[in-house]
Amino acid sequence: MEFGWNEELEAFRDEVRAFLQEFDTPALRNELANRGEAAQLGPEQTRLREALEDRGWVRMCWPEELGGEGKSQWFQFVMTEEFAKREVPYGSGFGTMVGPAIHRFGTEAQREKYLPGIWANDITLCLGYSEPNAGTDLAALETLAVKDGDDWLINGQKLWTSAADTASHVWLACRTDPDAPKHRGISTFIVPMDTPGISVRPIMTMSGGRTNEVFFEDVRVPSDALIGEVNQGWYIIANALDHERVWIGAGGGLRHIFDRLMAHVREKRPELLEDDVVRRRLVELELDLDVMEGLVLTNASIVASGDTPTMEASMSKIWTSELRYHISNVAMDLLGHEGALTEEADGFAPLDGELERTYRASPIQRFGGGANEVQRDIIARRGLGLPRH
Amino acid sequence: MDTTLSETQRLLRESLRDYLSNEVPFDRIRELEREGGADQTLWEYLAGAGFLGLPFTEAHGGEGGELTDTAVVLEELTRRACVIPFLETTASALAIERHGDEALAGEVVRGVISGVMTIAPALQGATPANGASPRVEAGALSGERRFVDYGAEVTHHLVEATENGEPGLYLVETAADGVATESLSTIARTPLAHCTYEGAPARRAGGAEALQFLRRAGRALCAVQCLGNAQQALDMTVEYVGMRVQFGRPIGSFQAVQHHCANMATQTLSARFLTYRAVWCVDQGIATDREIAKAKALASRAGTEVTMQAHILFGGIGYTEEYDLHFFSRHGKERALAWGSTEECLRVAADTLDEVQPWQ
Repeated sequence: MEFGWNEELEAFRDEVRAFLQEFDTPALRNELANRGEAAQLGPEQTRLREALEDRGWVRMCWPEELGGEGKSQWFQFVMTEEFAKREVPYGSGFGTMVGPAIHRFGTEAQREKYLPGIWANDITLCLGYSEPNAGTDLAALETLAVKDGDDWLINGQKLWTSAADTASHVWLACRTDPDAPKHRGISTFIVPMDTPGISVRPIMTMSGGRTNEVFFEDVRVPSDALIGEVNQGWYIIANALDHERVWIGAGGGLRHIFDRLMAHVREKRPELLEDDVVRRRLVELELDLDVMEGLVLTNASIVASGDTPTMEASMSKIWTSELRYHISNVAMDLLGHEGALTEEADGFAPLDGELERTYRASPIQRFGGGANEVQRDIIARRGLGLPRH
Repeated sequence: MDTTLSETQRLLRESLRDYLSNEVPFDRIRELEREGGADQTLWEYLAGAGFLGLPFTEAHGGEGGELTDTAVVLEELTRRACVIPFLETTASALAIERHGDEALAGEVVRGVISGVMTIAPALQGATPANGASPRVEAGALSGERRFVDYGAEVTHHLVEATENGEPGLYLVETAADGVATESLSTIARTPLAHCTYEGAPARRAGGAEALQFLRRAGRALCAVQCLGNAQQALDMTVEYVGMRVQFGRPIGSFQAVQHHCANMATQTLSARFLTYRAVWCVDQGIATDREIAKAKALASRAGTEVTMQAHILFGGIGYTEEYDLHFFSRHGKERALAWGSTEECLRVAADTLDEVQPWQ
């Protein structure tokens, strides 16, 4: 047991900080602020991304068989943490999720075809998983892929396909054997979004963000669009979802909200700090953030020791997603009516409307990436070993 | 950074768990509850097997280990509801060894490791005690301390007292003239005493630094006890609901029950990280009162809420004296209050809110 950082990691942390000092420029900030929902990186982000590649930091902790250096996962953790502290994003989440799946299950030719593009962010991805009748019960998906000569012919509909309007490719789960048990008749494909027969319809969400439904009408793709074996898809998806869960769980940013809330209260609402009840509420939020940190570090520790977290990853996902709601809810409540102001209320909104935005965007964290109820099932069954019914 | 147990810690835990499950039946705890006193047989075993010397320096005959090793042992002892002054003695002797009187340290640590000396801290609690604050004049201690764990069972008290207006720690023999102990009954049914000192012979053991260390170590280790009670109740619950059949199936297959268990496990694991980090920071000398208070607040809650939720899932059988669950809910609640309750600890954190630094 050790709760500090060794010299090697401290030195690496200093390197990352120096790196960010150099690349976290006003130009980058400006680019990020005006980025909108574009999937392609702007010139400043590309410069940062390439510099990261030059240093070999992007995949340094991946196992060698996945094209990494096999370094301790703590390097990745330290780097992620330093980027998160400065709120600088690096790379696309879906790419880091799908990339390993292609590396592990694809052919040599597929790896050469897709991976360099994914790492360079030239290939950007959206996830074609959910459908109108396949949400939490993902294995009930019905989009059909039928072998037609050497090609596959795809028909069906996907839903909640975020980034479908900007991504270059879709990572697509299709039914390839309608007669097999539902988990055993699914395959995964990677399909360019400009393939004829694909159409995208926007769906606006209450967070202000856009998601989509995507229609596939006689979409013809060559045989090498299939990744992995036919009907092996569920296994591949389950692998990738594990990555997504850790990714969502670790996606903090909540600590910044707390810091900005403290700064706001200190500067603009100092009278609140005279109130013992308010101080106690702030301490409770801080404690919740401590728990989040603890769960994240516990997960990272398990990964670094060579094991795979199961229930711990689910705990972290549940806690972080529920805290996103809770911290914005409590903060808005402490501030009173001004807590309701949005960023459009120029100059009046506390934290430039971040609390209101976070509150509005918080539901998806709880039902997305494996609903929290399912996460609790996972903790109980896979973690604690309780029986299925 | 590594939150997992070291090889040494795994071995310590396994060997102690084996011993306790074979040699310390719960009926032994019941007997101690009825008759009072601490488990002398267990104490002798711990001394003989080297568990008492783990955190002390090799120069004093100790193992030179980490304080987290001791915490692992303490958690195991808690999970068997053991009635011994392990936390009290270890934290007291360590305060003297690390920050107290050097001449006294060797004598005290050797006495503790050999098993002949046991020590109860008698500090100014967070809960105000009525009565005269202990003072020392010309080597004689007078005053009273209200809440002293194992005050009647240990060989020595380590009393917080003032001498010429300066706070310090003073070592007093329980058997000395002028020391009186009166047992107080608690929800835990473990020994607690109201202690009165009237001109008792006292040796100075340390000053403000030793006192601060003892407060911090005691609070962090008490958090470990809270955690141990929660973990034991959780494990017992998971085992029970996996077996108990109602409506033709194990109740642990019902989603409502599963989600309670998932929440209990999450609360316990959350407290685990902060608790062991607090102990580690105390050991490294980098602990702050604020961080320790937050860890104890969280552990206190886990020790209370997880153990009580266990009762709700167990139903009638867990409510009986014959069954063993009540040890952990009663101990869990009492430990939640000892060394600073949730509320007292949150107050410490709230009073020091200005210490919060932005994440950078």
